[in-house]
Amino acid sequence: MPKWFTPAAILCGLMFVISPVLIARAPDEASMGMVYKIYYYHMPSAWMFLLAPLVCGVSSAMFLVRGRPGDDRRAWAAAELTVLFGALTLITGPLWARRAWGTWWVWDARLTSSLVGWMIAWAYLILRRYGGPGSDKLAAGVALFGAVNVPFIFISVNYWRTIHPPTTVVPKLRVDMGVPLWFCVFAFLLLFMLLMTMRLRLEETRARLDDLYVALDE
Amino acid sequence: MAALRAACVAALVIGGAAASSALAAQPPQPQDEFRPVGNSPAPEQIPAAPLLIGAYVVVLGGLFAYVVGLSRRLGAVRQDVERLESEIKRRGR
Repeated sequence: MPKWFTPAAILCGLMFVISPVLIARAPDEASMGMVYKIYYYHMPSAWMFLLAPLVCGVSSAMFLVRGRPGDDRRAWAAAELTVLFGALTLITGPLWARRAWGTWWVWDARLTSSLVGWMIAWAYLILRRYGGPGSDKLAAGVALFGAVNVPFIFISVNYWRTIHPPTTVVPKLRVDMGVPLWFCVFAFLLLFMLLMTMRLRLEETRARLDDLYVALDE
Repeated sequence: MAALRAACVAALVIGGAAASSALAAQPPQPQDEFRPVGNSPAPEQIPAAPLLIGAYVVVLGGLFAYVVGLSRRLGAVRQDVERLESEIKRRGR
């Protein structure tokens, strides 16, 4: 692991210990009450859920153009993180919606496009796992669709009729609500970088293992 | 002719009913700003605590499970690498 990994992991752990304290001290929201506090983990998860397919898509495009295995490994790692953060987003969202909207799920543009993005990431992983030879390039093509879907997810709440809060709620947050949110965003961003590093190292070690098997056979 | 007229009327009635029900099914306007609660607490129809606790348990538990799983996978592959490296060294002697 790189030298910065251990200090960053300790810092990230501390941030996740401190974050519930900050969230508990933040005020409840006027119309939603206490359940609004799901937002402090839901929104950072959702942002990582948007960041991961972008990393996956850009790395896949680079892999298709340059053919370097390192780009492919980065794309694979990011696809797995898309599934992870997508699951967290798609579970915490309905838990919030149940109290805030009175329903677990609505088929609006934001929720539906998020679900589609999550399923595209699953398709990528299934292709890599069971696609056989040549699945790396096929999966890279799928990843491009996942990346193209990201701007659509982001702007969907501003352009289509939905009960999901628009993106403009974030800059309008009062300081005592905004500070815990941005603290959590940085904690999740740091965690994302750490998980990417670990997952990338796993792929590099697997590649080394394949090389060793080849060397052993010769 | 009468049948055609009846069909047109039926289509209008069904179409109107569908349009009105679609309008009625439109979601309420989204909240465009989060405001902190004032002196009076917000009314709680559905208990919020189980949902809030559930969300945090899911996030923290999910992340912890993923980190543990990833560490185990990494450890297993590293062990295989070390085993093969020692095997290659042994054969090379």
